[in-house]
Amino acid sequence: MADLLAPLYALVAQVLPFECMQVRFMQQAMVGLLLLAPMTAVMGILVVNFRMAFFSDAISHSAFAGVALGLLFAVDPDWTMPLFGLLVGLGIMILQRHSRLSSDTVIGVFFSAMVAFGLAIVSRDRSLARDLQRFLYGDILTISDGQVLCLAALLVALMTFQARSYNHLLYIGINPTLAQAHRVRVAVHQYLFAGLLALIVMFSVQAVGVLLVTALLIVPAAAARNLARSAGRMFWWALVISLSSAVVGLLVSAQDWASTATGATIVLVACGWFVLSMVAIALRGRADA
Amino acid sequence: MATAETVPDRNIAVRFEGVSVVRDGVSLLEDITATVPRGSCTAIIGPNGAGKTTLLLALLGEISYRGRILCDNGATAPRIGYVPQRLTFDRGMPLTVDEFLAMGFQKKPLWFGVRADLRRRSQEHLAMVKAAHLSGRQLGALSGGELQRVLLALALSQEPDLLLLDEPSAGVDFQGELIFCELLDHLRCDRGFTQLMVSHDLATVTHHANHVICLNRKVAAEGPPRQTLTPENLTAIFGVHMGLVNSRSMPDNRTACTAPCCQGNQDG
Repeated sequence: MADLLAPLYALVAQVLPFECMQVRFMQQAMVGLLLLAPMTAVMGILVVNFRMAFFSDAISHSAFAGVALGLLFAVDPDWTMPLFGLLVGLGIMILQRHSRLSSDTVIGVFFSAMVAFGLAIVSRDRSLARDLQRFLYGDILTISDGQVLCLAALLVALMTFQARSYNHLLYIGINPTLAQAHRVRVAVHQYLFAGLLALIVMFSVQAVGVLLVTALLIVPAAAARNLARSAGRMFWWALVISLSSAVVGLLVSAQDWASTATGATIVLVACGWFVLSMVAIALRGRADA
Repeated sequence: MATAETVPDRNIAVRFEGVSVVRDGVSLLEDITATVPRGSCTAIIGPNGAGKTTLLLALLGEISYRGRILCDNGATAPRIGYVPQRLTFDRGMPLTVDEFLAMGFQKKPLWFGVRADLRRRSQEHLAMVKAAHLSGRQLGALSGGELQRVLLALALSQEPDLLLLDEPSAGVDFQGELIFCELLDHLRCDRGFTQLMVSHDLATVTHHANHVICLNRKVAAEGPPRQTLTPENLTAIFGVHMGLVNSRSMPDNRTACTAPCCQGNQDG
């Protein structure tokens, strides 16, 4: 498995000839981020469009419970976490579609239940609490080859789905009734989207931690929204912002003068993009006036 | 939930049979039986809360109902074009009118732009509703009337057998409303679709509809406007005495409406 990825790591070391990029764990982290960034970019656009920021927050917080379950049953938490996130995501979608409660109430209930459940299990065993810190802050530097391959598979699946459904998802985001009348299969799209989003959120938890997952999805999309004037352009802006934030964030965090947490640095770079986009809007407004 | 079935009678586009909708224990529609003639301009009228929009949503399959809704369409399900009363959407979303009109038809993601043939087709449909100048504009920057036209262009581009309009003139000024209704009449005659609209505006209804369904949770009356919108029926559904306004009065001292519907039934 490692042989498969070795040439890729070597390529990354060559393209980014920084001193910090010559060690294997940094190359693994960079490849992982380069696979994750396009997914968070494109899903972020739709999260903003569907106003689902709170949904992704709830999924990321269910990471606690997912990890706790893994630790409890002695299964690798790296696998129980995405699986559990998927179940929670689909559960929220089912309840949202079939109950008359407002969506933030539904998500709020799930959110609280997941966090409480995770904390309850963890509080039984003090040694578990230490493991959980990794998920709170994230640690892309410990990503394994197996996870990199998983991310690659997820990227292929997600991009295939998006290439086929992006337009219809945007349509549903604008108005589901209108899309339904136009013979778009609204329910199928919503469930697939929720499932894939849950998986991506869980992989992002490993990269930037529970606290910053939503930022990773929202900030590039929000900046792209400011910069773009069409839905097509918004996609490319989000992609550029997400990828550049990931690369710059990882490199900066590894410098001796910075030595900051990788996830936080990536999000800060993305926020820098957002500030720039606000400046661009102000300048554009002045030019139009 | 009942699904749309085929009506045997070729002169009927839609038939509601005993349709009831109950939500949270509140009855929104009770035993609705009504007919929409093929090729007609049928108006559903009634006061606020009468269940007008609910009936449209039942027809669209958006809410569950008891009873049957039969659609005549030949072999396949009818193509339905739907123009909602007010499109509530995120106006900050960067989306051009071209992209909006293409996204229900185009498989290739919008990242790679709008297909040239779809762009041409959208342009034709926008020209049809006299909105050709809007094609490159941002959807979120349109006024109420402009958005209504774009939504109509979208509905028409689906080449509907049945065009559903929810309060077509809401959010459009009076002058714009008149143009909108004339436009719809011309298009209906050209393309031969059936038009079903919800309205609380009696002037529009008597001017343009040739079939009326009076609704107040139940069907109070149904038929051609002149025979149906009698003072007795109007009092029954609106609850207060309402004389029929002079339906031939025109704004801005215009002397005639150019809509085809008005040419055929001047005597009402």
